[in-house]
Amino acid sequence: MIVFIARRLLAAIPLLLLVSLISYGLMGLAPGGPTAIFQAQARQLSPAARAEFIHALGLDKPWYVQYAYWLGNLIFHGNLGNSFVDHRPVVTKIVEKMPVTLEMLSLALLCTIAIAIPIGIYSAVRRGSAFDYAATVLAFASYGMPVFWLSVILIDAFAVNLRLFPTSGIASVGHERDPLDRLYHLVLPVVALTIVSLASWIRYQRAAMLNVLGELYLRTARSKGLSERAVILRHALRNALLPTITLLGLSLPGLFGGAYFVEFIFSIPGMGFLGINAVFQRDYPTVMALTMLTAVLVVLGNLLADVAYGLADPRIAYD
Amino acid sequence: MRGAWHRFARERQAVVGLTAVAFILGGVIFGPFLVPHSPIAIEHAVLGYPQPPSWLHWLGTDLLGRDVLARALVGGRVSISVGITAMLIAIFFGTFYGAISGMAGGVIDALMMRIVDALFSFPTFFLIITVEALLNRFALGIIVLILGLLSWMSVARLVRAEVLSLREREFIEAARALGVPPLRMLVRHLIPNALAPVIVTATFSIGDNILAEAGLSYLGLGVQPPMPSWGNMLQDALLPAVRSAPWLVVTPGLLIVITLVAFALIGEGLRAAVDVK
Repeated sequence: MIVFIARRLLAAIPLLLLVSLISYGLMGLAPGGPTAIFQAQARQLSPAARAEFIHALGLDKPWYVQYAYWLGNLIFHGNLGNSFVDHRPVVTKIVEKMPVTLEMLSLALLCTIAIAIPIGIYSAVRRGSAFDYAATVLAFASYGMPVFWLSVILIDAFAVNLRLFPTSGIASVGHERDPLDRLYHLVLPVVALTIVSLASWIRYQRAAMLNVLGELYLRTARSKGLSERAVILRHALRNALLPTITLLGLSLPGLFGGAYFVEFIFSIPGMGFLGINAVFQRDYPTVMALTMLTAVLVVLGNLLADVAYGLADPRIAYD
Repeated sequence: MRGAWHRFARERQAVVGLTAVAFILGGVIFGPFLVPHSPIAIEHAVLGYPQPPSWLHWLGTDLLGRDVLARALVGGRVSISVGITAMLIAIFFGTFYGAISGMAGGVIDALMMRIVDALFSFPTFFLIITVEALLNRFALGIIVLILGLLSWMSVARLVRAEVLSLREREFIEAARALGVPPLRMLVRHLIPNALAPVIVTATFSIGDNILAEAGLSYLGLGVQPPMPSWGNMLQDALLPAVRSAPWLVVTPGLLIVITLVAFALIGEGLRAAVDVK
């Protein structure tokens, strides 16, 4: 097992290098880079001072030279550079924002799992029933819904009209450390994220359960006289949960994608909010660091999914 | 193929989806000719005060006094064409990439698939925003190109897997023995036989692209006004200033949901029809 994990982590290194090269290349080749922004900002600077400034950030070199510097800095100093905008270390900026995003995403994931798995299981067991039909409709509606649209409707209904929840932010002024207040602010964002991620979990769990329901060992269980309830709960359920574990790792990129919008709309100062602003401000070091972080999370998520799958199912051997 | 069509027609949800898509396509293609309002003409009399639905404007008007129905229909043309064209680009590119990778095998295959893995571990939407924001140009063609070029990876994986299994089949071996050149092998023998799962993916990807365009438009990086799209109609409608005009929020949002669900229903039906077990 340890060998398996080590090999997967080793294989991830060229992958991450490739990710960094592609994103750096994309940014480097795109016209209108940060220098254009600085030109607008620094109109009062003399041309010489501006050239100095651009030179200090290394932006006068071709993109591959910049990339080499960036990579060297990361590998030999473990340093992801400083933000172009406020010149603080990118790592610090991200670490500050991370807890909020993780809090929001893990709550959303928990809610999604708690709601979608029972629905998926039950609609597979009662296949073709009114419940199954309703669950399918719910899953399709959740699949088709733009998350920002849903968020704004939720804000309109529950924050503006009913005044039940705050419209934005992560905490009330003066209550930044109050966990209940944070939770209260997170209700609407988490509801929005949960609703849009229900679709894949319900469909996936339903399909997994349907697969298991066709297995011969269930017929064995029935034929030895077990009640239908025991067959479903003790024999089918455990096996049907297995494939869903993999979805946990695979759903990470989608969750982060949703987080960008939700944080942007609810003005939650998390990584997504930071990311969108960094893109608009051409803050390359921040964009790069966030891209790399997400890529690492995706790799780890996939690995975690495989390992968890193996732990849960002894039939799978790592070789 | 005939058998697949019959199985498809037996899937009730697929037929519902197909009917809905036909209805939507008919609406956005012919609808604009029937609506007596322009989608971009600003009615100065009602500028600044969105009008609720009335006999004159069936779905009301927006903040600039433009007819919402006319905009929704023309916007649908734009959104759906973006969805379909970007899908075609992704399918075309992904199919060739996957087929070449599968056919080449060895080091080339491994290298090509690592690139796919790398692109898969990007936060795709973040990447799209980055490219869009950096290009700073929002011509329709560029948006379509970006959406297409960043969504071909799953197609490539599917086609490669199909090609790998096809390579071992007798008819491919026979073709190889006959000395069929590689390009002809690819186009005439491998790709046509690997297309079934691609068509299923294609159906879903139209919806995904429509959703992505809407997201880009929400951030101001999508189809630019005055050309309407469901995405930028939502952007207009979600401005705090028009929060009291639910018809602006509901129309494009519901259209997106209905269209996506319709395409997804077709996709599910196709998957059931193609997947013979």
